[in-house]
Amino acid sequence: MGILRIEGLSKIFGSGHLEVRALEDINLSVSKGDLVALLGPSGSGKTTLLLCISLILDPTGGKIVFDNQTIFQKNGWAGVDVRRIRREKIGFIFQSHNLIPFLTAKQNVLFPLNLIGLGKEEAESQAMELLKYMEIADRADYLPALLSGGEQQRVAIARALANKAKLILADEPTASLDTGRGKKVMELLKKIAKENRSAVIVVTHDIRMIEGFDYVYELKDGRIGGEKN
Amino acid sequence: MSFLPNAALLSFPLVGNLFFSERLRTSRKYRFGGSMDLAFYDLKLHRGRFIATILGVGLLFTIVLAMNGLYRGNIHEGLALIKATNPDLWIVERYRGGPFNEQSTLPEFYHYSVKAVPGVEKASPFIYYTVERLIGSKSRQFSIIGFDVFGGLGGPQKIYAGRNIAQAHYEMVAHPKLGVRIGDKVPLGLHSYTVVGLTREAVSSNGEPLVYLSLPDAQEVLFQRDNEQVRNERGRLLRTLSEESYLSPYQSEKLIPKLQSDTHIINAVLVRLKPGVSRDETARRIEDWLYLSAFTTEEELQLMLRGRLASMAKQLLLFRTLLLTISVIIVSLVIYTFTMEKIRSIAVMKVIGAPNRVIIRMVIEQSLLLTVGAFLFGLVLIHNTYQLFPKTVLLVPGDDLVTFIVAFVGGIIASILGLWHALKTQPAMALGG
Repeated sequence: MGILRIEGLSKIFGSGHLEVRALEDINLSVSKGDLVALLGPSGSGKTTLLLCISLILDPTGGKIVFDNQTIFQKNGWAGVDVRRIRREKIGFIFQSHNLIPFLTAKQNVLFPLNLIGLGKEEAESQAMELLKYMEIADRADYLPALLSGGEQQRVAIARALANKAKLILADEPTASLDTGRGKKVMELLKKIAKENRSAVIVVTHDIRMIEGFDYVYELKDGRIGGEKN
Repeated sequence: MSFLPNAALLSFPLVGNLFFSERLRTSRKYRFGGSMDLAFYDLKLHRGRFIATILGVGLLFTIVLAMNGLYRGNIHEGLALIKATNPDLWIVERYRGGPFNEQSTLPEFYHYSVKAVPGVEKASPFIYYTVERLIGSKSRQFSIIGFDVFGGLGGPQKIYAGRNIAQAHYEMVAHPKLGVRIGDKVPLGLHSYTVVGLTREAVSSNGEPLVYLSLPDAQEVLFQRDNEQVRNERGRLLRTLSEESYLSPYQSEKLIPKLQSDTHIINAVLVRLKPGVSRDETARRIEDWLYLSAFTTEEELQLMLRGRLASMAKQLLLFRTLLLTISVIIVSLVIYTFTMEKIRSIAVMKVIGAPNRVIIRMVIEQSLLLTVGAFLFGLVLIHNTYQLFPKTVLLVPGDDLVTFIVAFVGGIIASILGLWHALKTQPAMALGG
């Protein structure tokens, strides 16, 4: 069952002789539980595509259908509350963890739960469950600065799962980790895709990390150059 | 808790323009449940800087509150003597706003003329001047009031220790700020004066202690001259008269006492009217008949407020405005720095889907926590130290409240710079390394 469908998506920066075609005619379909990798060299348009899928960057053309709702088409965002969609349906994992430094590990996981208006007790128990699931519950009251890189990334994944996201977007989630920890993070993402039935899209340039992914798309000069199963 | 509703934000001229396209796509129907106190957690992490800022800005607020108190104290002291004396009319030299706001000099016998005006029940001579003399071993500045001690107006009304002056000479009633006690003998000029009573109902318009003397004593202290100076003046007068060929040396000698300066001088005549007599009518009569100026006590208060006290009030207002502006600028820069340090976190919050109000609340709350914390520190400090100021600091709850409101509004204004940066932060900043 499709969770995300992208048709003919394009993104052009600048105009005239300064025009840069960052994305061109992107077509992509992702279903629940799919584990998708976007591969490509630097400047190929991976992050631009992720920003468009995240509803952060306005595409120039094309169509985005998310969770059976057309959210972008020719005329722009179809009257949707993009931040609401992000806080309720999308989870984000960043390259440099991006935990909020003045909140403890537990509070970082509580933050998105708080945003969707979950009651205090329910949110706290859910946050602790997620931290246990990530095997980091014993570090719940630590500030991010006191956690190792791997621990921080596990907290970041717990935060991305907090809103029971239908789509998880990960931007180079292993870039700041060593190979061993990076592989563990990828295993976690696979587990999430299978157990939670969340679609996971991972942007990466490291081909070693995408073993076992359902789909791998390679971007080149703003176009999807190839698809591998 | 949210400090600014969405509608208010949109109408906020500076902030309103800063909402980039995403803000406009965000539905306002959705009720955000966020109750996490981000401002508090951030300040907790940076508590050292937070406390240092509170202490610094708090000291500025202390000065602002002290200036409020000094202003009130000056007004209170400047008017206290007029209010305490409170005759029906103050009669002074023609076209002079005396005796406190401007110098006024009248011959002493004028009070008889004033007494003769219809409607006047009592007219008393009154003299007031400031001196600096040694009291004990310290040089002290104080003001002397000379009044008719036998039932005249202008004397001390409330004596809390001892009694009023009961004899024509060598007794005084003093303010305790002078540092004297009952029975002390205070040398003023040729004579010593015994302190027979203490009063604290008034001080001079400059806030200096008051000393009450009988009128002749006050005149003697005022016009007391050095013997050498008296001899020089006699010699000068003698030389002037001897230039006139029709005066013999004997005649010149005889004329000298007549030409020496008169010491029977007063500054004002205080008037009590008979019951039912119109103040305005009697004042007009005195002005027209005797070529003097007459003021009611209310007019005398206004003369002080518009005269000597006005420039001081403006000065203090200017200082207070400057200090409050500096406080707002400091808080503004601190909040700006706090916000700049959180820019990436703010971008992450936006990616996660936090509405702008969560970010606005965080910035404004930090600004208000700093401002209110600093104000409370200043308030506690001034209320525990105001007695140490050499001048009277009169702290009035109303002034504290107004300063708090100004500080609170200033705190909101101070957050504008931080808000501006927070709101224009692009969520895309959170992505990448």
